[in-house]
Amino acid sequence: MPITSNAFVRSTTIFLLAGAIALIAIVGASVWLAQRTQQNADAILAVREMRAAFGDLRTNVQELETGQRGFLLTNDEQYLAPYSAARDRILPALQNARQLAAAYPAMDAPLQDLSGIIDGKLKELDATVAMQKQGRGTDALAIVRSNEGKVLMDHARAGFNVLFAQADQRLNELGDELRASALALRWVTIVAAIVILLMAGGSVWTVVNYTKDLATSRNEVDLLNASLEVRVRERTQDLRRANEEIQRFAYIVTHDLRAPLVNIMGFTSELEASLPPIHRLIERVEKEGDPELTREAKAVAVEDLPEAIGFIKTSTRKMDALINAILKLSRAGQRPLKPEVIELNSLLRSSTEAIQHQIAEASGAIDWDIHSPPLVSDRLSLEQVFGNLFDNAIKYRDQTRPLRLRVKASAAQHNRILIEVADNGRGIQKQDHERIFELFRRSGSQDQTGEGIGLAHVRSAIRNLGGDITLESMLGQGTKFFITLFPAILRPSSGALQREQQTRSCNHHHDRR
Amino acid sequence: MSNKPEAVTIIMIEDDEGHARLIEKNIRRAGVNNEILPFSNGTDALAFLLGPEGSGETKAGRSFLVLLDLNLPDMTGIDILERLKTNTHLKRSPVIVLTTTDDQREIQRCYDLGANVYITKPVDYDGFAHAIRQLGLFFSVMQVPGTA
Repeated sequence: MPITSNAFVRSTTIFLLAGAIALIAIVGASVWLAQRTQQNADAILAVREMRAAFGDLRTNVQELETGQRGFLLTNDEQYLAPYSAARDRILPALQNARQLAAAYPAMDAPLQDLSGIIDGKLKELDATVAMQKQGRGTDALAIVRSNEGKVLMDHARAGFNVLFAQADQRLNELGDELRASALALRWVTIVAAIVILLMAGGSVWTVVNYTKDLATSRNEVDLLNASLEVRVRERTQDLRRANEEIQRFAYIVTHDLRAPLVNIMGFTSELEASLPPIHRLIERVEKEGDPELTREAKAVAVEDLPEAIGFIKTSTRKMDALINAILKLSRAGQRPLKPEVIELNSLLRSSTEAIQHQIAEASGAIDWDIHSPPLVSDRLSLEQVFGNLFDNAIKYRDQTRPLRLRVKASAAQHNRILIEVADNGRGIQKQDHERIFELFRRSGSQDQTGEGIGLAHVRSAIRNLGGDITLESMLGQGTKFFITLFPAILRPSSGALQREQQTRSCNHHHDRR
Repeated sequence: MSNKPEAVTIIMIEDDEGHARLIEKNIRRAGVNNEILPFSNGTDALAFLLGPEGSGETKAGRSFLVLLDLNLPDMTGIDILERLKTNTHLKRSPVIVLTTTDDQREIQRCYDLGANVYITKPVDYDGFAHAIRQLGLFFSVMQVPGTA
């Protein structure tokens, strides 16, 4: 149901395109119709001009006849003036009418007839006027009385009527066409207006719908975000609980392992303490008793027993060291964090104070490049972390070259702080890059004392602060540790400490059966 | 114990028999000959000390020194400590907490509840034996009041 942005673009484009086509069609139709109207109007003017020419011609013919009649009646040259004037004009007027009517084939035949009639009439008129001038007035009147001129004149009138009728008919037709064009233009405009309104309405409807869908989608996204945050919080809570559980487990297990270890150690020592009296007894018996028996007993008492006791003691001591390491780690994890504002620069520099002496001894130097905002974190954890890293840098330096440390801190992506601690020490081979962060694991030649808990502790402490540590290293070239931290640690639920204490005094013992 | 040495009974509440044996051996090595009454759980120890009605009155007039382990199967040593130190008759009897736990908060808690001495059992036996023997020497010079 929601309009996808593609569909939105498609439908909007279709509406706009349809609108554009409609507009072009309307403009085209309007131009065409306007042109037709113009042509119509021109045609009407032409017909009117032609009609006027016909009128002019008729007037001239009448003037001729009027002049002839006056002259014949009065024999006064004065009356001949209209005749003379019309006689000069008539042929050009006829020529003009013919020219104007040339575009109308329908006029051809009547005009042809008319010009024949006018020719005849002109001959009759010229002849009578000439006779009158020569003094043959009676001859001229005789011609008039012959009715020849009247007949010609009647024909001319009829021809003119036909021409006028034709022109008027044509004018009527053109007027109808003109009205039709105007009407068509009006309809085109109305239809166009409707089409444009529809397109605009459709576009508006699509945009409104799309906007509505966008708002709905945004609400849904907001809702999802909110529930996502809740889920993340729940998961974080679960993880924290699981982590506490593991640490408590480690704590209890190591504690319980310690008790039997005390016994093993204790009774082994008791055994050891019982050896001297036995030795003395064997020595005494050796002097007086069965040599065969005492030799066997002596081998057991002097060689086997001390050897067995020695192994038991070494192993127990080792086990005690391991248990202590685990205990230390779990205790560090259980210590409640104390967030405070920490100036990274001074913390890092003071962390190196303890190794200044060794650095000088290794003719080493530290490069500083600290550009980090102050962060809110647990001071003790950070001091332990950097103390450990710097100790390692000293411990595992390459003896063949002067020690060189590089400490960098800067603001990193995703609102984090990145701290790099790089050395030019002996490096760590690739397969050990992850392994050295594990408890009791060490890398390279075992020429330095250590239990293999330093980096395990570092990683545990950093993760406890919500950060992480990784490394890059090339064997024989050096190691670079990357520590990412949040500018502020999440304040652990203040209940963590209380809960721990409660479980310590209850679980501790109940779980112990 | 110097004034009435025989009267002071050492109550050892320790669930680990090995530990109990090692503690006893080393106390004896320090020359302490007082009676040592071992209990392997809290219930029995409290039943003995507080008597059947739980008031502690039955043991009036006797002197006790309690060696207490915190990790017991049936209850925590802290519960026992609390019961003893709030009991009218037994509250003056010295309680020495002797346990594997070396957690600072745990130690503080025991002293808050009235423990007289807190000793962590060293795993290393020489240390352990040494600590117990010193404790024995300490016994021989300390004054233990009788219960009220």
